[in-house]
Amino acid sequence: MTQSFTSLPQELQLATSAHVKYIQSLDSRKDEYDYWLTEHLRLNGLYWGLTALHLLGHPEALPRAETIDFVLSCQHENGGFGAAPGHDAHMLSTVSAVQILAMVDAFDDLETRGRGKAQVGKYIASLQNRQTGTFAGDEWGEEDTRFLYGAFNALSLLGLLHLVDVDKAVDHIAACANFDGGYGVSPGAESHSGQIFTCVAALTIAGRKELIDVDRLGRWLSERQIAGGGLNGRPEKKEDVCYSWWVLSSLEMIGKTHWIDKEKLTSFILSSQDTDKGGISDRPGDMVDVWHTCFGIAGLSLLDYPGLEPVDEVYCMPKSTIKRVLGR
Amino acid sequence: MADQGGSNHGIARTSRTRTEEQRQKDLERIKDYRALEDEVRHHAAKNDYSPDVFALTSKLLRLNPEYYTVWNVRRRCLISGLLSKLSPGSSPSKALPTSSPTATTTISSADFSSSLSTETPPAPEFQTTGKSGTTAEEEDEEQTRQQDQQNDQQILQKELHFTIPLLLESPKCYWIWSYRLWILKQVIERLPVPVARNIWEEELGLTSKMLLRDQRNFHAWGYRRHVVEQLESPELEGKSLVESEFEFTTKKISQNLSNFSAWHSRSKLIPRLLDERNANDEARKAFFEEELNKIGEAINVGPDDQSLWYYHQFLMLNLVNSVEHPTIAPAFTQEERVTYLRREIESIQELLEDYDDAKLIYEALFDYTLYLCQLQGREPNEQEEKDLKGWLGNLKKLDPMRSGRWADLERDFGLKE
Repeated sequence: MTQSFTSLPQELQLATSAHVKYIQSLDSRKDEYDYWLTEHLRLNGLYWGLTALHLLGHPEALPRAETIDFVLSCQHENGGFGAAPGHDAHMLSTVSAVQILAMVDAFDDLETRGRGKAQVGKYIASLQNRQTGTFAGDEWGEEDTRFLYGAFNALSLLGLLHLVDVDKAVDHIAACANFDGGYGVSPGAESHSGQIFTCVAALTIAGRKELIDVDRLGRWLSERQIAGGGLNGRPEKKEDVCYSWWVLSSLEMIGKTHWIDKEKLTSFILSSQDTDKGGISDRPGDMVDVWHTCFGIAGLSLLDYPGLEPVDEVYCMPKSTIKRVLGR
Repeated sequence: MADQGGSNHGIARTSRTRTEEQRQKDLERIKDYRALEDEVRHHAAKNDYSPDVFALTSKLLRLNPEYYTVWNVRRRCLISGLLSKLSPGSSPSKALPTSSPTATTTISSADFSSSLSTETPPAPEFQTTGKSGTTAEEEDEEQTRQQDQQNDQQILQKELHFTIPLLLESPKCYWIWSYRLWILKQVIERLPVPVARNIWEEELGLTSKMLLRDQRNFHAWGYRRHVVEQLESPELEGKSLVESEFEFTTKKISQNLSNFSAWHSRSKLIPRLLDERNANDEARKAFFEEELNKIGEAINVGPDDQSLWYYHQFLMLNLVNSVEHPTIAPAFTQEERVTYLRREIESIQELLEDYDDAKLIYEALFDYTLYLCQLQGREPNEQEEKDLKGWLGNLKKLDPMRSGRWADLERDFGLKE
């Protein structure tokens, strides 16, 4: 495959330096209204940007000390993290915080200057519904397999998975399975690529992949690739770069990435870049954002695009980080 | 982590350069927005959840419904002042003695369960006459309770109205949906069952409306499932809605065959539907055939539509996986199962006369032939093997993107030429 990449036209080469600059510019857009409207995603955004930078081979492009300071400034007394200082604690931002700290190797700072790993673990564990095994996003009770995966992701990175009832959570995931092999947001819900990623990744972390109907799921996932080479999230929907990650990583976890056309997917992601100003959009010609930039690059990494750091398909972080933190 | 809020979907890329005038305009907006935000945060930091702060959250959430912390501030405003204090363990159904004949204005659930009205009844009025034997103090208490309930109902319904325009504008915003559900939870905890039930029933109308605007919106489908579950629960003195929900999927499908969300929902409702109908073997068989005809007709029109084939597959799986899953017709004999499968294979083959380039047809033929062998516990015979090879050849030709999958099938079933 490598050979075919070099023969691609200019617009189908990865615009690495433009993407690095784009991500670096994200925090200097304070004169744009959107910057303020998206503050509730600041910590997630930092995770998306930092992951992209690590995979692009420029982990130092965001200053490490400031990154750690910012993350710690989002932590609450209860151990959870809000999206930015002054925002309430939530599972989604807490997971991003743990992932960022793992990437920049700063669990020690969490211990010495933050409220410590144990408190973070306690916060996450408090969000498990002990009856059904699933997790809420915060104290107000919205439940979703996204939060279950997030909890498993962060707790396993912290080495604190034992704080929750893993078996119950696994039972809950099994109850979300559908006849097509996929998983939904809760029992009874339609299969959806994003939720499939969360369920399959959670089962992988729990070491319970035997519960997955690999053939049926692989087949459903492979049918997500449509004529233009991009992947959609559900049958008869439009393609979208972020599904390059949700679908492809799920296929990787069940060993079936060869069931889709990787070259066509690579071209689709590359043609969704803004090669001039950096960033990747949901599909060619649309507005870029850091979310699609992260999952586009993570997808390219899984597709073995040359020059990218290998990504871990379960955690959506560099494999090198996972190796350092989990020793695998 | 997965959260699509705030990311750009389907917005055309435009030049990112602004004129100085545009920039100034943006700065103005930012100033106003941040001033409002600062004010809300300033009060929240001091645990000030007064009605004034509540009003500020309305303003801010209209500008930015993704601001989850502000939804939380709004919840705290409601709990810490605007709504009545909820004493632990108290519930309105206990508070309103259903046996009391004097509660003349209390609305009985029977009045509503059959009502199609979308109007919500007013909260129970004060009782003007006390039940004989109650003390003045008890009467006072009862009066306060009813006043509280009236007040709560008014506030909660206002909250439901508040979120509607926001949902219409941002139908995929998780925070709005979850706030709305939280309000509805308060409805159950604070209002008498008949009133609560009526409010919840109106939610079905809302999801229908949302699903008319976007038939695949999985937030709306999920919300609807939740609403139905609550309406069926003892908390709302509910009874099964499986028949009307099944009817709803039929309606959605008739509006557009390619609505997999509706087909999916149907697949989940069927086992319960048949159980609750106490369907005997004959009724189940008739049901199965009707579904098969329905999907067969749809496939005749749209053989390239995945939604339809997934549902067809669901029906076929009912023939082969009888032990693991709740099935439509568990009493089918082996002979019946084989007959159905053969009949489907034959009629799908006939489709090829009109659509010899529809790859999903070849895939179905391939699958179902293997189902048939599995059912009969045998290897494919010579003719079948020839067919399988032929169909696989067509799949490879028509669908090169998935060539890896076809190669695996070829290997796994020993179909290499």
